[in-house]
Amino acid sequence: MKGARHVAAVVLGCALLIGLTAALSNDYYLRIVFMMCVYYMCAAGMNVLVGYAGQKSLGQAGLFAAGAYAVALLTTRAGVGPWLALLLAAVVSGLCGVLVALPSLRVKGPYLAMVTLAFGIVVEKLVGEWTEVFGGAQGIYGIQPLTWGGQPLDTQQWVWFGIVLCALTHLVLRNLLRGRFGRALLSLQADEIASSSVGVRVYRAKVIAFVVAAVTCGIAGAMVAQQNQYINSDFITFHLSIFILLLVLFGGAGTLAGPLVGAVILTLVDALLARWPSVQHFLYGFLLLFALYVMPGGVVGLFARWLRGKPAGAGAAPAAGEDAPALEARGSGELLEVAGVGKSYGGVKPASDVSFRLQRGHIHALIGPNGAGKSTMINMLTGVVAADEGSIRFLGQEIVGLPAHRICCMGMGRTFQNLRLFAELSVLDNVMLGRHSRMRNGFFASLAALPGARREEEATRRRARQLLALVDLAHLAEQPAGSLPYGLQRRVELARALATEPQLLLLDEPAAGLNPQETAELGQLLLRIGRCGVTILMVEHHMDLVMSVSDHVIVLDYGVKIAEGRPAEVQANPRVIAAYLGVEEGEDEPAAPAAAAA
Amino acid sequence: MAEALLQAIISGLAVGGAYALVALGFSITFTTTKTLNFSHGEFVSAGAFIGMSALFVVLGLPIGSTSFGSAVPSGGAQLLALAAALGVMGVLGWVLYLVGVRPFAGRPGMAWVMSTLGFGVILQSIGLAIWGPKPVVVPSPVGDAVIRFLGVGVRPQELLTLGVAVAVMVGFDHVMNRTMVGKAMRAVAANGNVASLMGINTNAMMIGAFVVSSALAGLSGFLLAPIAQASLFMGLAVGLKGFSGAMIGGLSNPRGCVIGGFVLGVFESLVNLWQAQWREVAVFALVILVLAFRPTGLFGRKLVEKV
Repeated sequence: MKGARHVAAVVLGCALLIGLTAALSNDYYLRIVFMMCVYYMCAAGMNVLVGYAGQKSLGQAGLFAAGAYAVALLTTRAGVGPWLALLLAAVVSGLCGVLVALPSLRVKGPYLAMVTLAFGIVVEKLVGEWTEVFGGAQGIYGIQPLTWGGQPLDTQQWVWFGIVLCALTHLVLRNLLRGRFGRALLSLQADEIASSSVGVRVYRAKVIAFVVAAVTCGIAGAMVAQQNQYINSDFITFHLSIFILLLVLFGGAGTLAGPLVGAVILTLVDALLARWPSVQHFLYGFLLLFALYVMPGGVVGLFARWLRGKPAGAGAAPAAGEDAPALEARGSGELLEVAGVGKSYGGVKPASDVSFRLQRGHIHALIGPNGAGKSTMINMLTGVVAADEGSIRFLGQEIVGLPAHRICCMGMGRTFQNLRLFAELSVLDNVMLGRHSRMRNGFFASLAALPGARREEEATRRRARQLLALVDLAHLAEQPAGSLPYGLQRRVELARALATEPQLLLLDEPAAGLNPQETAELGQLLLRIGRCGVTILMVEHHMDLVMSVSDHVIVLDYGVKIAEGRPAEVQANPRVIAAYLGVEEGEDEPAAPAAAAA
Repeated sequence: MAEALLQAIISGLAVGGAYALVALGFSITFTTTKTLNFSHGEFVSAGAFIGMSALFVVLGLPIGSTSFGSAVPSGGAQLLALAAALGVMGVLGWVLYLVGVRPFAGRPGMAWVMSTLGFGVILQSIGLAIWGPKPVVVPSPVGDAVIRFLGVGVRPQELLTLGVAVAVMVGFDHVMNRTMVGKAMRAVAANGNVASLMGINTNAMMIGAFVVSSALAGLSGFLLAPIAQASLFMGLAVGLKGFSGAMIGGLSNPRGCVIGGFVLGVFESLVNLWQAQWREVAVFALVILVLAFRPTGLFGRKLVEKV
């Protein structure tokens, strides 16, 4: 078992380190090792935030301070025991992490980075200037250190404690990042809209990432405060925030080894240059400026080519025949009811008073000339865009105003017109992400890698392979999705949508960019999916495909429904012909409806 | 009480002028290149120190000195120092664009956040190596005699800062809305690809944006140095408040940014009057509050609708 081997390796590494440091009696060297542990803690959590969730935090010093001062105040003012204080410090910094994450609900990208920067500065000013509570530059003395058997830890024991804590942190985060949550975080870094449309709760995932980073950073701060038995405002600087960020970027963001490499190398450099602070700062600035340019993957990225293991058993795909029972057939009747839906962007009205119904088990097509409002309709159905008026009832429940991930969980899967795959993730991971909302293992179960979480992960992997076999991509499962040719990427997206176990599958131009051969194959595939009981609504321009596979066609023009019915009826409808081909002047009969449509 | 209030408002307006210049700088680079200079604050400090060292040079003191002693630079020397600050900062802005922004602009992942931050850290560490961390008292070009009216004492440098800030904004507004260069700049901001198809040199416009933005940061530092004291650490707070001002006003709207900068200056000054240690927290809270209700800032919306 791979996981058990890794745990054994980490335990062995720990024992080795503890043995080595036991032979080390020089306090200065021991302190360097201790600081490596402290910075590893900071970096490990920060990696979740920066490397996986793709959020930039420039205020980690504030969270470091939260942990350090929590321990300081709890042990000196409130008389809380040192172990409990350490635990509470983790909680306090976690809460601060929620505070920092809150703006992420409203702002993104550079705004958010600037808000986190502001948070760091505010904390720095607060602990520096609010002297009654935080002691300013005078600091707080007499912080209780951790004890073992009634005795405070000596430097060596602190180092051992640090090593064990780092190992635990590594194992726990590894569990988290290699499963459901790691995939979800990577997906939201790549594309938030696609992420929410496969059922990932984007904001919740972001907040979790912020909290993980805050907790580890807070623990690091608390460790420093307890080991020194002293903390003052000089510890909390903007440079600390930058240093923590650099640990991750330099080591290799988004890799499990990155934080360790970064912490070890940069702590050493930091210790060597401690006598020349301006050289130190210059070097950090230089690394920030050029590291990402020269080595986007950090130090680990440079060596990744040699370290990368063999792809795990790619040949283990089951035969395509196995999949059929997995897509459930359901009863007949109405699945979705759209009534009087309207949407306007300024003067453009991509939908006005559109109503239609979708029947279970049917293949529906939504057609219309360019700009008819087809994609907007798909976006409104899936919750990516909110409808201005009207109602959409799915499975008898009103879904206007629900967030995209909720609608996905109810059983609506989709593909996008301009492919939104998570390009850097493997094909298999993309499809596994589709099953995110169907997985039952929660945050803490994943953290501890409980048997249930492992079973879910296994089941998801199996299911994803089945779906890949269904779309004939089993042999490409380990490739990065972005490296596939366009036509194959479309099929990956289809498999991903199917992985959400949809009752209704929305396909936005599934045949765009496909050649006639591929289009015909797609038609066969859609019929197979339809026979399994999945209802399909597709937006499509290839009339051959539409007419050959669909049971029911809806025609939109300028945001108005102009016709619906069986393919043959719609083909003969004069309003449809007018919309597609235009009307010759003087031709009376179709002119009136066309005018009405405009 | 009324005097104290008036005093706070006036000094708030003066500092707000400096914030507004910084906010405008953020707005310029954001609209044209969709990037921000995360070391804008360090550029403010750099502007102050370049102006200061130009004064040292004119007075015949070594560049690395940390005190003016009793020397008072002449008006001509001050003008020269201003020109030096603007010029050098403009060049620095260009260098920043070349090494820190252009390699990353338009790519996902916001690597430019790190590279611009790194550039600022480098600037600061160079400054620390030359002048050390201690702040320097810089003589004001308009003297230090306090002007009194309505029972309120105002330092001439504060009035100068306010006046220069307002003049620069009005000038900038005129350029952006009434001249060909301004139109080209707005075209690049609206859609760089289309602008380049229309024969606009987008690369030059983007370099120009960084040059102007950095020069504004330098100007702001130059004006603030005699009010506060020149310090290598002054910039971070100024840069951050400038950005807060820009967020309050709406990063995409230059006029909004300017208003935001002034609002923030006065607000900060009033909070300072009440409880000094809550100043930073209050400023931050105000920004969060604005973002919570209007993520694009108070005046940011108009521009969004046009797009």
